[in-house]
Amino acid sequence: MAIFKQKKKGAFEGSGLVIFDDVPQAIHAEKVLKKAGYQVKLVAPPPALRKGCDLSVEINLVEQMGIKRLFSDQSLPYMEITPLREKTSGLLDIVSITDFGDAIMVKAGNMKISFDKSTGVILNTSGGGCPDIPYLHAELIDKRLPEAPRPKDIGFTLCALMADRAFEECLNIREGIE
Amino acid sequence: MILIAGTLPIKDLPIITGKVEKNGADLIVEGNRFPCTQGTAALISAALATTSYLGTSPPYAVLAGDTGRGEGSSEIYRYLMENLPGTSPDVLVMHYILPDMVKMRSICEKADLCSKKPVMVADAASMYAAKAAGIVHRFDVFTPDAAELGFLADPEATHPAYIAHHLFEAENGHVPNLIETAYRQKSSPNLLLVKGQLDYIVREGKILETIGEPNVPSLEAIGGTGDTITGILAALLDAELEPHEAAVIAAKTNRMAGQFAEASPATKISQIIEHFPAVFAEYLCTWSGVCYIDYVK
Repeated sequence: MAIFKQKKKGAFEGSGLVIFDDVPQAIHAEKVLKKAGYQVKLVAPPPALRKGCDLSVEINLVEQMGIKRLFSDQSLPYMEITPLREKTSGLLDIVSITDFGDAIMVKAGNMKISFDKSTGVILNTSGGGCPDIPYLHAELIDKRLPEAPRPKDIGFTLCALMADRAFEECLNIREGIE
Repeated sequence: MILIAGTLPIKDLPIITGKVEKNGADLIVEGNRFPCTQGTAALISAALATTSYLGTSPPYAVLAGDTGRGEGSSEIYRYLMENLPGTSPDVLVMHYILPDMVKMRSICEKADLCSKKPVMVADAASMYAAKAAGIVHRFDVFTPDAAELGFLADPEATHPAYIAHHLFEAENGHVPNLIETAYRQKSSPNLLLVKGQLDYIVREGKILETIGEPNVPSLEAIGGTGDTITGILAALLDAELEPHEAAVIAAKTNRMAGQFAEASPATKISQIIEHFPAVFAEYLCTWSGVCYIDYVK
């Protein structure tokens, strides 16, 4: 009777879960996310990911940064956002630095930000593949680091999250230079 | 005909479709003007520079504004699901589109309905979606950088931000191992062009060629240098070059244009692309072994 296990064609298939302490929180969060235009659905978390209540919200994991910001703006409580695949590694926290002489490039995950050592002006952003990355590129370049918008404030995706980690490291390095 | 599908960082831009034209430094599709910046615009611009030199048809673009919330991406998926079989491109390039596993599977099913199945190329988030959805085998070419190759090699990751740490740390010294792992796990299409300090051209898991010259380290810092490689590659595939030859020429062209531009981390991608005609004029005949273009001209 495998036919009953087949997914409905066209149904949403995310790769992340939002875990909550209790069922009303999950139901309310689902409504808020749908109202904001996110594609989500209420699901029971798999046993290995069951930390709070028996209900969670399945999301497109790529969109987690925008979703976290929405929860924060609306003071919505949640326990955590986690990949649906149980064996997935944690978020990358490795940052590497390349010194080009006049400029420094900081790489976090798949994202890179380069800035001028003497002026602190962002020269370029590269890497990534989500739709907010060309937008961040346009918003960040030619601005001085302290005045540039943070990727975490204007981006929505995991690529933007990695860009923000690179941005933070750029700020730290720049403070050290000044 | 090449069909390039991707988003532009322009809020509220509705879906636009049509042949790409160039006017000054800008690109024009269906009367809409936009600059050549990192992302799908850079890919289109590189493809157009290549088709213009070759004298082949300009790319056909399916574009929509999207700054990360996915509205434009949804429009692109919808358009392709409705129109792909009727359009039947020779080469289909999927690019900066918010990953949606269900919709990406539908696009691949529609591609099968084309009069002739297009050569399927994915880069950026479309590559993430294909891998996460487990349909890598439906694509012919991926163009990852080393970090994205680590993502392909990680069976659990659905985005490069979640790569296992040991795979990410291995990216610089162990690209061949990552290539082998990705292929073994069926996360690699027939052809891979791995972009990096060394570019790797890989077919069916075997490294055919590496390209390291000219070495222009600043290219890594310049937003759009990966996009341009994919754009050149798509145009050369449309000109019916063998995929691995197209990949080699794309990688060499990008590097040489970087050298011509005397690239620094402050260089903009449009400044690299403007050197493509000069690179083609000087090297394409030698690299391709075909001087027919010069003969015709």
